[in-house]
Amino acid sequence: MSTKTPAAPAAAQELAKKTPRPSGNKKFFRTIEPYIWIAPSIILMAIFIVTPIVKVFQLSMSKVTRAGLVKGYNNFENFSKVLKSPAFALVLKNTIVWTIAVVVISTVLGFMLALVLNNKFRGRKVARAIVVFPWATTLVIQASAWNFIINKDYGTLNTLLMKIGLISSPVNWTPTPGAYFAWEIACGIFVTIPFVTFCVLSGLQSIDASYYEAATVDGAGYFQKLFSITLPLVKSSLTVATVLNIIYVFNSFPIIWTMTKGDPANHTDTLVTYLYKLAFYNGKQGEASAVSVIGFVILLVCASVYMIYTLRKGDDDL
Amino acid sequence: MSQPANAVKKPASVKKTILRVLLYFVVLDVCVITLYPYFAMLCTALKNRVEIFSGGTILPVVPLWSNFIDIWSRAPMAKYMLNSVLIAGGSTIIAMLCGIPAAYALARMKFKGQTAFLGFVIVSQMFAPVVLLIGIYQVMQRLGLTDNILGLVFINAAFNQAFTIWLLRGTFMGISAEMEQAATIDGCTRVQSMMKVLLPVAAPGIVTTLIFIFINAWNEYTVALCLISTDTYKPLTVGINTFNGYNMIEWQYLFAASIFAIIPVVILFMCIEKNLVSGLASGGVKG
Amino acid sequence: MKKFLATLLALVMVLSLAACGGDKGGDTTPPPADSGNTETEAPPADAGSGEKTAIKVIAAEYGQNTKQWWADFVTEFNGSHDDIELTVEAVSWNDIYTVVNTRVANNDAPDILNIDVFADYVADDLLLPIQDCVSDETYAKFYDAFLEQSNIDGTIWAIPDLASARAMYYNKDILEAAGVEVPTTWDELKAACEAIKAYDSSIYPWGIDMTTDEGQAAFAYYIWNNGSDFTDASGNWTLNADANVEAIEYAIGLVKDGLTNTDPANETRYALQDLFGAGKLAMMIGPNSIPTYIADNYAKANTPAEEQINYAFAAIPTNGGNASVSAGVMDRFMVFDNDDSDEKIEAIKEFFDFFYEDTRYSDWVLMEGFLPATSAGGEIVAASDESMAPWVEIVGSCKFYPTAKAEWADVKQGVIDVEQQALLGGSVKELLDNLQATIAG
Repeated sequence: MSTKTPAAPAAAQELAKKTPRPSGNKKFFRTIEPYIWIAPSIILMAIFIVTPIVKVFQLSMSKVTRAGLVKGYNNFENFSKVLKSPAFALVLKNTIVWTIAVVVISTVLGFMLALVLNNKFRGRKVARAIVVFPWATTLVIQASAWNFIINKDYGTLNTLLMKIGLISSPVNWTPTPGAYFAWEIACGIFVTIPFVTFCVLSGLQSIDASYYEAATVDGAGYFQKLFSITLPLVKSSLTVATVLNIIYVFNSFPIIWTMTKGDPANHTDTLVTYLYKLAFYNGKQGEASAVSVIGFVILLVCASVYMIYTLRKGDDDL
Repeated sequence: MSQPANAVKKPASVKKTILRVLLYFVVLDVCVITLYPYFAMLCTALKNRVEIFSGGTILPVVPLWSNFIDIWSRAPMAKYMLNSVLIAGGSTIIAMLCGIPAAYALARMKFKGQTAFLGFVIVSQMFAPVVLLIGIYQVMQRLGLTDNILGLVFINAAFNQAFTIWLLRGTFMGISAEMEQAATIDGCTRVQSMMKVLLPVAAPGIVTTLIFIFINAWNEYTVALCLISTDTYKPLTVGINTFNGYNMIEWQYLFAASIFAIIPVVILFMCIEKNLVSGLASGGVKG
Repeated sequence: MKKFLATLLALVMVLSLAACGGDKGGDTTPPPADSGNTETEAPPADAGSGEKTAIKVIAAEYGQNTKQWWADFVTEFNGSHDDIELTVEAVSWNDIYTVVNTRVANNDAPDILNIDVFADYVADDLLLPIQDCVSDETYAKFYDAFLEQSNIDGTIWAIPDLASARAMYYNKDILEAAGVEVPTTWDELKAACEAIKAYDSSIYPWGIDMTTDEGQAAFAYYIWNNGSDFTDASGNWTLNADANVEAIEYAIGLVKDGLTNTDPANETRYALQDLFGAGKLAMMIGPNSIPTYIADNYAKANTPAEEQINYAFAAIPTNGGNASVSAGVMDRFMVFDNDDSDEKIEAIKEFFDFFYEDTRYSDWVLMEGFLPATSAGGEIVAASDESMAPWVEIVGSCKFYPTAKAEWADVKQGVIDVEQQALLGGSVKELLDNLQATIAG
């Protein structure tokens, strides 16, 4: 994964060579120097993320009472209970649908939106600021707002459509759990697009205009330029954005929690809402931790496969 | 059409005009769809409860501007907002202070465990904060940071490390090391060459990262909910939930308060947006 | 631009440091309470204000007025008790389990907790017998039947802070216009619903809440009024009793026939109350606090009298000639065992004495329109608010959930799941059989 441009290590060596004060410790210092640079970050993450993660692994293998007290290890009982539960397969399926749908659609739409916003036009600044809105809004609020909009009895969508005359009586937008889930996915896409758009936009803006000029001189069309210049150059920022997006979406909690709480009967639950209910509504923290470890393993596998695949190819291109 | 169009310069043609119209059409559509929920929120924020549940109106019959005033007396909104600014600002600073050196080391130095570190950074994000609540609380308790804004600052900074490091590493790697080398020859130390040469050039990437962290920290809800018990230390996200109680959701107050919560982020963004664009437009070399 | 940003960031940094410093300074009282678990009441670090006993309370937020009520209470209490430092944290019902469980798991339990459940904490030996923490005078104030609800193995673990009872509310105008009498049996109820639907299809005849929030209440309404219960007389679970299956099939049938709100799995009782208040729902089962709720809304909205709904309440309809049963819900105070010193126990007693002082207590109960759990409170409430009088009667005789049983938490989630599965087309009989097997087997 060390996607270094050949120039960088050479430069680093060069820099190191020029470091003043040649002393006996110089070589030693050069070896440990990078670790000093990454130390603050490592310490920060070790304390505030790794310790809690260790705790989750511990809990996943422990017997935890309803009130939250740990009463010793119980091997893998939590895992077997979770895997045996009939709801788990459904929840897993939902999670996969949710993650793929939100990530794929929002990446495609976000990318297209970034291309549009990368043009110079009057009001671009305003348009960009508007696009930030969904992202600047807390998810709980965003989800509440959508829930309010699609409500059959007093939602503004029905009111609006009735005023326009498109419908004559209120439509029930969520007749089935599937429909509700689709709305939740739509809401997820809505709030994720800005993230993708700005990742891509920042990549797009660092592309030197001369590439395009040269391509134009060569007679390349819009799509040719898109695929031969834009995509490869934006790819590295898009890859990271997508990996992080997969993780964020997979772990996303507030939208589903606010809109349906996973109801009815787990039909809109994802792993995170499911384990939240297990932990804090049913008082089964051991099992909840087991679910989160399972989720972690799934994410780890998917993200690694994706990163190895895309970054390998990225290396070849560079 | 009066503005210089794309980076690609071509004589104006009918095709371009059509494209331009199409562009505006798309942008307009996107804006309308994006703004619709906020329009609905604003209208609802100006209604009274009975009107909300009766349905049937889009605009409020009589705009009830007092809702916007009421929320300030119903909850310490100013305090919440200050807390949110402190949390988001503090997290951004700490995330940057830790993230920039790490990204620099990854981009400019070669060391053992580089790949492992990059992997670790990603893996560290794979648990939802919801899952880690119990562990996080334990850590905070040991450090005496429960019910403390500083605790949230650290947590948000930590949870944004992956993004910070990956994005900045990419940015730094995209910038040639030549200028830094030159600076070193001139007698700058590594830290100086980074501060004086690399960071200004990387400003757009840094600004982007900054916005990301700020927004993420601004929107964080679950951890804040669990860690903060004193009302006056609560950030806006948790504080707003006063209106989203168990017994009743007070849509009008909830939405009015939410609108206040969005404003600072949008202002921040508009301030920074110029920087985001101009820094990059000049080809990435700008002092 | 860059300068501006730099200044802004610098400012934020200074502010945050200042705030953090401020926190540290202001935090001098909580630490002794935190460390109180390990050492027996460490001397308070706050040297300036003398030795104060800190009491931490976590309380459920019942409605919009709760937070302010507690804030005033704390000011008053601390003002009159120089040696006690009381802090009360009011947490919304949505979040209270998360907050409490996180704290308990980290040995940071509050001293006093106001919540609905208690059996789980007893199971883990976390609580003190409540009688040790309440003065005899205060203890004597409670209705015996209420105290019994918190009895596990002969010990009373919690005291009720308030109660609520349920009845059927109906919109008089809609029923009159549809030409139906107030239903008293299930058959009448169904006929009334059909008549209302025929009269105006835009009105929902009957409200049902089968959500994760309170789906167990619906379960209780129907089985209790079909002469059945969660358990038999000796306390064994009887979830799949024939009468239970019949009751739930009846309720699901109403939904399937389109006689109820559209989405009972997602529409909470509060959503139903709002529909009822807006005249879009003809009948629903709800708590005694509905009149307060609706009146508050009208008052805030300045709704003219002619637009307000005209409603009343009646007994919940029953089946098979059984007497109507009202469902009671009771919340509690419990005291956590934090190795408390004698002074602390005394302080806790002071707290309860202060809270249950008759006028203050009736004020607490009336604040959100609940029912008192003490007889003296009952008299005051009944006297001060005429509309409450019949409710004070009802609450003495209603049935409660079997919250003292250890499996209750699983049963509660279980019956909600059964309801939601049944709404999706599952067989009630099979679902309840499975649940019974899981719980009792």
